[in-house]
Amino acid sequence: MRLWRLWRERTLAPRIEAWRQALHVAMDDPLAARLPPLATLDLPAFAGLWNHFQESVRGPASDNLARLLRERGIDARLLALLGRRSLRLRLTAITALGHLREERAWTKLEAIAREPSSVTSFAAARALLRIEPRRALQVLGPSILEREDWPLTRIGTILHELGPAVVTPALVTLLVSRPRRGLERAIKLARFGHRHRISTIVRGWLSSSEDPEVIVAALDYVEDASDLPWARGAAKHDSWRVRMAAAQALARVGSRQELAALLELLRDPVWWVRYHAAQALTSLHGLEGEELEALRAGTRDAFASDMLAQALAEMRRR
Amino acid sequence: MSALLAGLEWFFLLYFVLINAGYIALNLLALPTLHRKIALRALEDLPPTYSGFEPPVSLLVPAYNEEATIASSVRSLLQLDYPEFEIVVVNDGSRDATLEALAKAFELEVFPEAHCRRLPAKAVRAIYHSRLHANLRVVDKENGGKADALNVGINASRFPLFCAMDADSILQRDSLRRVTQPFLDDPRTIASGGTVRIANGCTVSGGHLERVALPRNLLALVQIVEYLRAFLFGRLGWATLNAVLIISGAFGVFRKDTVVEAGGYRADTIGEDMELVVRLHRVLRSRRQPYSIHFVPDPICWTEAPEDLAVLKGQRIRWQRGLAESLHSNRGLVRTGGAAGLLAFPFFMVFECYGPLIEVAGYLFMAAMFLVGHISAAAFLAFLALAFSLGFLLSVSALLLEELAFHLYPRFSQMAALVGVALVENLGYRQLVTLWRLVGLTRWLRGARSTWGTMTRKGSWQR
Repeated sequence: MRLWRLWRERTLAPRIEAWRQALHVAMDDPLAARLPPLATLDLPAFAGLWNHFQESVRGPASDNLARLLRERGIDARLLALLGRRSLRLRLTAITALGHLREERAWTKLEAIAREPSSVTSFAAARALLRIEPRRALQVLGPSILEREDWPLTRIGTILHELGPAVVTPALVTLLVSRPRRGLERAIKLARFGHRHRISTIVRGWLSSSEDPEVIVAALDYVEDASDLPWARGAAKHDSWRVRMAAAQALARVGSRQELAALLELLRDPVWWVRYHAAQALTSLHGLEGEELEALRAGTRDAFASDMLAQALAEMRRR
Repeated sequence: MSALLAGLEWFFLLYFVLINAGYIALNLLALPTLHRKIALRALEDLPPTYSGFEPPVSLLVPAYNEEATIASSVRSLLQLDYPEFEIVVVNDGSRDATLEALAKAFELEVFPEAHCRRLPAKAVRAIYHSRLHANLRVVDKENGGKADALNVGINASRFPLFCAMDADSILQRDSLRRVTQPFLDDPRTIASGGTVRIANGCTVSGGHLERVALPRNLLALVQIVEYLRAFLFGRLGWATLNAVLIISGAFGVFRKDTVVEAGGYRADTIGEDMELVVRLHRVLRSRRQPYSIHFVPDPICWTEAPEDLAVLKGQRIRWQRGLAESLHSNRGLVRTGGAAGLLAFPFFMVFECYGPLIEVAGYLFMAAMFLVGHISAAAFLAFLALAFSLGFLLSVSALLLEELAFHLYPRFSQMAALVGVALVENLGYRQLVTLWRLVGLTRWLRGARSTWGTMTRKGSWQR
């Protein structure tokens, strides 16, 4: 095993160096790149390196790298790898075909995206989103919400890369349908869309939902005084997470009029609610440091007083 | 009488068969996981990208008399590659100048922080913020032990995940990213630990590992094979069944709310890291709450192993007592079922906790039987040869897994040295460790009081 590894490392090292140089040149001019012929055994290692380059570049450099592969006929060889049993080979090929935006792989990738395996299905979904993002979002929308084995963080990374212009229409469609399964995921992903488009839908939920998670998400979109009655109501909610989000919302759009609600939240039994109420008080429009000091001195609740002292100290450091 | 002796013979033989069958089964379970891990490198080795969904982590660093190294340890933590984290150093009533060293290095100032006391712990004297690093805080508290310091750290932490670690753990820059990966991939994850490797012989600079090498000290060398066995097929095997009972206190990440609901760390045990994990299994299984505890096989944390017998002896006695305390205080886990309750717990109880007692008794019994002529010299030697061969085989299989997956010791001479050590450790070292473990078990049975363990570290490899 070790001898095989050493032999491979030794024989691969000069080739990898040659590929690396070729890929560097190809980023500027694919026609000028001198890529040595690729043996079948070397294809996975080369594709892995090519994927690495692709993940590190954007724009014309990415297009040029893709052109290099097409001109050498490597795209067809990668397509053939999709049918292989080896997980490593399949993942390498799926990733590379995504970067290549290879339309011919669409049907196969769509089928792989429906496989039960979290890893291969998600890699295929990612590739589809790279090939044709709008179409992929339509096809994969329900899976994105329902497949909990697809990590939200990775979906977020992809949506972030695609940008709000591409993802907003799909997100709006998903949010308007208010799916029974995956609404929480949809809300979390909503941040990758245009805020003003998402905001209109999500704020509407403040009056219509009783689900704490949904209300917390909706409170995050509270941005003008017309929503204040909802935020004040949320400050008395049974869920501490909702009360905490209400404190943040009141801080964002409220004025001195919210003083009473925030002082009430400052006496909340949950530390995090007190913390955000204190932070809210220090950022409330029209309240100055001296007035806050007086409020702190005047409060009889030791927990509230300590929390306000901390918030004031943090304010002075800012 | 002869029936009793025959019964004992069969008992020791059965124990011997079962323990080795258990280890071989763990080995077989670990293999496909490791194979898949290798395949996933096609994705994992690509440059990392962050979406902002990565859960922020509070690194809890309990420090007791760490004056000499604490500043460099914290500096290395500040360089970790992770989107959002805070460092909470908990000075557990150090008698040396640990706090002063931190204050000087990071320009600490007392901050009027409203301390959140979700877990009971010793009194906090003061909380300091660093003027240089917004994500560094130091909590100065009365001495109460590592578990108590961790509870204070949990109370002071602000993020949903916390990483419990030793102040002298040596990490790689991507350690935090790797160990938190299960929390991103599986929403049921409540804890995740990684492989701890031996740093003796390696080159460490600025608190980070720079070059992997083998130590010259034989005792440290033997522990490399021992750690590989424990982590690569032991924990990885159990992890495939969601039955990991130990996440090393040197580096492990937990979901804070779950730990707080379970009562935090127990301050009256020396095996607080294992006790917490066993209790989490028991509590969550009894509530029928779905959860996962993951093990990341990548080498993400490095620690210094003892290089002299006295320190090693103290460490192994402490570990054994901690193990016994952790298992006995969570006996109810058996009744909750599942692989953790029905397989891992009994395995640990019989083979890891009471194993030393049975093994020492077995060796003595076989020797006595041989001396009184109850068994032939050939049978006695055959038993010893089989025991040594299986021990060697298991060590070599751990080396094989290391070679397959990580290949951290690339030179032939390094692997030859490790194979040699795997052979030699059966001739005395293992038996000595078994004896120390028996001492630990006896002390626990006698109810000796738990105290903070002192681990003398040389750190000669550190630059």
